[in-house]
Amino acid sequence: MGFKEYVGKRTLQGIVTIILAVTLNFILFRIMPGDPTRAVSGDPRVDTATRLALIAKFGLDRPLFEQFVLYVANLLKGEFGISFVQIGRPVVSIILGRKMINTLILMGSSMFIAFTLGIIIGVFAAWRRGTKLDIFFTVISLATYSMPVFWFGMLLLLFFSYYINIFPIAGTITPGVVHPNFLAYAKDYLHHLMAPMITLGVSFFGGYFLFMRNTILDVFTEDYMLTARAKGLSNRKVLFKHAMRNALLPMVSLMGVHITFLISGAVMTETVFSWDGLGRLIYNSVRNNDYPVLQGIFLFMAVLVVVASIIADIINAYLDPRIKEAVD
Amino acid sequence: MTVEVHSTEPIERERFSASIRRLKEFWALYKTSKIGMFGLLLVLAFIVIALLAPWVAPYDPRALVGRPFLPPMEGHPLGTDQVGRDIYSQLLWGSRISLMVGLLASAFSVAIGTAIGLLSGYFRGPLDSILMRITDLFITLPSIPLMLILAAILGRSVWNIIFVIAITGWTGTARMVRAQTLSIKERPYVEAARSVGARDSQIMFRHILPNIVPLIFANAIVGIVNAILSESGLSFLGLGDPTKPSWGLILRYANEAGAMATGRLWFIIPPGVCIMLIAIGFAFSSYSLDEILNPRLRERRG
Repeated sequence: MGFKEYVGKRTLQGIVTIILAVTLNFILFRIMPGDPTRAVSGDPRVDTATRLALIAKFGLDRPLFEQFVLYVANLLKGEFGISFVQIGRPVVSIILGRKMINTLILMGSSMFIAFTLGIIIGVFAAWRRGTKLDIFFTVISLATYSMPVFWFGMLLLLFFSYYINIFPIAGTITPGVVHPNFLAYAKDYLHHLMAPMITLGVSFFGGYFLFMRNTILDVFTEDYMLTARAKGLSNRKVLFKHAMRNALLPMVSLMGVHITFLISGAVMTETVFSWDGLGRLIYNSVRNNDYPVLQGIFLFMAVLVVVASIIADIINAYLDPRIKEAVD
Repeated sequence: MTVEVHSTEPIERERFSASIRRLKEFWALYKTSKIGMFGLLLVLAFIVIALLAPWVAPYDPRALVGRPFLPPMEGHPLGTDQVGRDIYSQLLWGSRISLMVGLLASAFSVAIGTAIGLLSGYFRGPLDSILMRITDLFITLPSIPLMLILAAILGRSVWNIIFVIAITGWTGTARMVRAQTLSIKERPYVEAARSVGARDSQIMFRHILPNIVPLIFANAIVGIVNAILSESGLSFLGLGDPTKPSWGLILRYANEAGAMATGRLWFIIPPGVCIMLIAIGFAFSSYSLDEILNPRLRERRG
């Protein structure tokens, strides 16, 4: 199997997963208690004309299978339905906009911090195994792993809003302020980003740290490490040329898997800090029974995760000589 | 002429004493791990609190027993919440929900995962493909949003929370059990059992499953940590049972009542510390379990 076939196979698997996700998404919102037509279009906040239009569009008076076909056809046309709460606004425009950007910035920056610190400190802990530094960070990571994300966010809020007032505590920008230029806007935005970013970053640091530390320790037991040392390479060279390169590969695939956890963490963090993103949108939509929006975000996130994990796997296959050899 | 009947009793007894021996060996190893013992003690402490809650809690956790937002004082070691319920009593009772959801949700998800992994790895073929694609799907789906949607659809109750956590948490076990089944299936004694005409179910339950049980157990402990954290998160987001005191629910009240901006430490710190300690208890236990059960790690220890 060549590299191209591998990419093709992974992509095909991803497509199957997305089809399954679409199906599940359809079923999920049809098993809701009560009449399915009521759940999608019978909300009292929706007026009769819109309701009739929705029923016609999604074929809600037809058999379930036909509804499914219509649902898929509508998805392909980019029609995700209309929000119950923000009447008349299409779900697509609610999801693919400012909220999505806010969430991606929050997830990206905290992932970057957790990943970088996890690698650096993880390598040093493995290298100095059993020292105070190693034990300190191992205990800290187990602790942060065992800590609810939202609670850590609340502690930061308590700290920053009650004891020292250095970070704003809610929202993405200071309300009511008109920013003279983009730079001022960016500065205000970053200032608001700090506390949620630290919250999410810290909650992911533990996992990366432990994983990196353990992978490096595993690599140390490999035969090629003995060979490298026997060749007379210096300790530092062994560590950075051999151990780290081999340990980074599983980290990349771990990152692909982590996207789902990242999304879960973002829901909590955004709720605590009133960060105006998709996570908070999910929370608000659950509270308001805004099912079309929920359905839309859910699908959007599933696709995001599938694409991210395929990219991670492909990068991994490309980088890892063993996988590449096996597939070539 | 009489037909000699071989009794299986001595074999059964031998099996039993062998497993007792293994357990003793395991305990001897486990005892040497400080982290593991610390974790176990924490877990036991919370179990004792949960069992004794009705007797040690000074008040009914749902009863209005004082003015709202009382600071810590005599009679109310952690003050009262926004409607005047005793926070300390809620905290003690909260251990019940955490342990119940943690243990049951993890048990259910491990059961689902084991069943799927075993069937998938043993029968291979189309069944394997279908089950593994479903597993892929559940690995892919972001769990908290899925939990939120399911909990919103099903309504607010402890059993729904358990169901939601179990239905989203079985994938790791399924993959692990499948991989183990694939390798154990090829071992000579399984071949031997098959050649003397053992049925599929017999091979699965008598020859394959017992070999995976230790790993499944380790998996279940990790599952408890995740279930406890998920429960606190769902309760915090307001999807738990509002009539049953849980740590996540107390934190929800604290968040809604603006306890952070007013510096009400006693409202915020204790529930979070409890969640963290009980999770650390299980996480530390699983950490040492892993060191004992995972041969690769054992090699590293030496």
